[in-house]
Amino acid sequence: MKILVAVKQVAALDEEFEFRDDGRDVDPDFLIRDLNEWDDFSLEEAVRIKEAAALPTTVVAVSVGPGDVDEVLRKCLAKGADRAVRIWDDAIEGSDPIAVARVLAAAVRREAPDLLFAGVQSSDHSFASTGIATAAFLDWPHAAVVSQLSYTPGAATAVFRRELEGGLLQEVEIQCPAVLTIQLGINTPRYASLRSIKQAAAKPIDVVSLADLGLVAADVGEAGSASRVRRMYVPDKGHAELIEGGAAAQAARLAAIIREFKGDSA
Amino acid sequence: MSRTDAVTRILFESFSAAEVRLFYAFGYAAIAVFAYGVYVQIRKYRRGAALKLDGSLWTRFGAMVASVLSHRTLDRRDPAAGGAHRLIFYGFVVLFLGTSTITLEYDILEPLFGIRFWHGEFYLVFSLVLDVAGVALLGGLIYMMVRRGWMKLPKLDYARPDRVPGDPDFDRPQYRREDWAFLWILVVIGATGYVLEAARLVWLQARPEVWDVRWWSPVGAMLAETFRALGLKEHGGAVFRHGLWWFHGLLALAFIALIPFTKVKHIFTSAASLMVRDPLAAQRLPRIPETQEQPGAAKITDFNWKQLLNLDACTKCGRCHEACPARAVGAPLSPRDVILSLREFAKDSLESGTVPEAAELDIHGKSPGQVAQETLWACRTCMACVEICPVAVEHVPIIVQMRRKLVEDGAMDPLLTKTLQTIHKTGNSFGESKRKRAAWTRALPFPVKDARKEPVDVLWFVGDYASFDPRNQKVTQTFAALLHEAGIDFGILYEAESNAGNDVRRVGEEGLYELLANANVAAIACASFKTIVTTDPHSYNTIRNEYPDFGGKYEIQHYTSFVKRLFDEGKLRVTKPLGIRATFHDPCHLGRFNKGYEAPRDVLKLLGCELVEMGRSRANSFCCGAGGGRIWIPDPVGSEKPAQNRIKEAAAIPDLEVYVVSCPKDLTMFEDALKTTGNEGKFMVKELIELIREAVPAHLPEVTAV
Repeated sequence: MKILVAVKQVAALDEEFEFRDDGRDVDPDFLIRDLNEWDDFSLEEAVRIKEAAALPTTVVAVSVGPGDVDEVLRKCLAKGADRAVRIWDDAIEGSDPIAVARVLAAAVRREAPDLLFAGVQSSDHSFASTGIATAAFLDWPHAAVVSQLSYTPGAATAVFRRELEGGLLQEVEIQCPAVLTIQLGINTPRYASLRSIKQAAAKPIDVVSLADLGLVAADVGEAGSASRVRRMYVPDKGHAELIEGGAAAQAARLAAIIREFKGDSA
Repeated sequence: MSRTDAVTRILFESFSAAEVRLFYAFGYAAIAVFAYGVYVQIRKYRRGAALKLDGSLWTRFGAMVASVLSHRTLDRRDPAAGGAHRLIFYGFVVLFLGTSTITLEYDILEPLFGIRFWHGEFYLVFSLVLDVAGVALLGGLIYMMVRRGWMKLPKLDYARPDRVPGDPDFDRPQYRREDWAFLWILVVIGATGYVLEAARLVWLQARPEVWDVRWWSPVGAMLAETFRALGLKEHGGAVFRHGLWWFHGLLALAFIALIPFTKVKHIFTSAASLMVRDPLAAQRLPRIPETQEQPGAAKITDFNWKQLLNLDACTKCGRCHEACPARAVGAPLSPRDVILSLREFAKDSLESGTVPEAAELDIHGKSPGQVAQETLWACRTCMACVEICPVAVEHVPIIVQMRRKLVEDGAMDPLLTKTLQTIHKTGNSFGESKRKRAAWTRALPFPVKDARKEPVDVLWFVGDYASFDPRNQKVTQTFAALLHEAGIDFGILYEAESNAGNDVRRVGEEGLYELLANANVAAIACASFKTIVTTDPHSYNTIRNEYPDFGGKYEIQHYTSFVKRLFDEGKLRVTKPLGIRATFHDPCHLGRFNKGYEAPRDVLKLLGCELVEMGRSRANSFCCGAGGGRIWIPDPVGSEKPAQNRIKEAAAIPDLEVYVVSCPKDLTMFEDALKTTGNEGKFMVKELIELIREAVPAHLPEVTAV
């Protein structure tokens, strides 16, 4: 039995930062990288299912990214993943979530798991689409924002709960194999001690190329993407003004501001 | 001397040969039981992990003997108990040696070599000394009974803060019974010794070589006179003496046989524990050996033999129980009970012929003998317990080694988990960017050197709290200004500095500690300097005592001693003596850990402060509650915090103006406690650096806020 967990190394902004020369992203020098918070929960869920399982179950962490990503994969191995797979090719640079999903789908076909977990979204780009797009490529049943799950490896179905607006809960049974995107709070992720992370360094990370997955450069990167980031920027800050004085003075100031906005000369 | 040969100790006179043989049989049996007990105990210790002691055994032995003979450690904070124990100890030793010399002559020297010394003046002086020793023994024992029975000292109450009434091991009445049995057996042995002596005198009153020298045994002689006055005759004395002789003898033999199985064994275990003491037990925690599969202590056999010996050395004197700040505020921890629980666990699991399965050696949990998570996490690693223990029990490494196992399992407060992850990610506990570490320097009117780029005299290791906490940043800036004005050539490591790791290590996250220590050692290696100075006692401790294990050997000073020298050398001058009434709080890591008691006090006096000491000061300073990673774990709502307990103590000082601290964490903890105890406005909490600034006004423009 096998559960695949798609994980992402996300970036957080340093206190001060600069944009890349092309203005489409932050300069990588100013980013602090870590495992996506949602993926911490989905990995934990997979490891818990494995630990409770009667049948031998394998948890495989899979990520699309360059060599730096090994760091988060090692963390996954430290927390209980049995294997890690990293897919990379320079052509993947610039892929949108759809292109990444295409790569992931190919990896899933190769691994043939019973379930694929992904986080609801990533904390840096927040597209919330990689998991579901992967399901679309696979043509597998899928569900988003799973907040409680009960699944026994080997079972034909999984039963889970989703939180809806207005405090409603939806209980769903889904045919396996399926793709589930996991919500924060579904469990309490365990702590990976530095010692266990170090020991995990001994576990191998399979590095897989596009060719290994039967994909070509045109399937990924900007060529294989359905969207393209045009620019990234810090918006101008708005400002507020407290208008003081009597009613008449306040009204006069308000009128002046409105005229200013309309572009009338006072 | 005509009576030289005649005047001697009456031994087996009036005993039949069969009786004498029977007594010897009991004697050998007692020695056999004793020897078996010693074997079982040693086998138990040997089931612990290996440990190689450093230093020479003779030096260790000498230090132990000096400590035992002087009773130095027993006098501390309880001179009455120390004095009484001294009476018992010396009384017992003299009586034991006295009895042994009888054996030496009667069973060894005389039958083998025909040597006799046990008569004449030697015997008379000997009887006098033994009589006095007996009085000392009984006096000490009776005082100990008074302590237990009437004074009802809280530290001798075995009720545990980590159990609730009804738990099988809540107050361990078996300990009380054992304590009383121990005292009574010794009292009865001692008292019957005198009665026996008196009965013998009455019995042999017709013999001048006995009766005429009776006052050399003054207590026995007085009793004998009393017996005679009450009508006891020679025959009655003989019968009485014969029966009592057996009672006294068998009780004494039973006592010897029971030594290894009861608290009496502390005679040996406490002495041995003192001999293997590590003077840096809490200051320099042990590394995890490469060969060890699981980090920390999960099973009783994960402790080394010395730690198992430590467990048996405990005499339940309650000094650690009394000193523990966690216990003082009602947290579920008493260092005494951690030790006693583990001792019971070791006794139950490791004294039988075979060692049980690993599963039965698990020391973590809530069953009798196990230690609960909440107990381990309540510890502040403030070292109060280790410091005061009269028999060198080293609680802190035991607790930290058990925590290492909890950390490996992730069994800790979620906020602590988060903090450790943050420190791993950013190198500091504030989750701030590395680049921001030196942001406090920007507000200074002068540049601070980057010690990685140019040589400096003084490398200032700033530490997390002093770098990132806004309140502490002001102090940090003030200290920088003072150094600058004193003409000190100093620099910092900027973003290359990481959390020093002192508290990370005490939490039990050894892997992260290694990462931080290695990172800092590497960063410091890039700098050229003469000495390191820090305002943070936590960083000071780990760099001073623990970095050498990671290849970082430096000269390091806490700012208090560094500033003291600047005053001595005239580089700083007090121009505005303060004339305030102040008290000083010794930070655990500066005071107890590194004995930095004098420098801050000297500086306070130089500043013109009237120093009023709190009851708990210097080695007995009361932890602010932030140590051992507890600064990252919230204290339970509604219960008193150690810092509040401390501020209340300070508040009792009449007309106190300033509560002086010299540790960034203390500033945070006590300013908070000042507010939450309603003492705001009554007195102030200030860093010593701030007082120095007041007494040494700036020549430079005021430091502006960040």
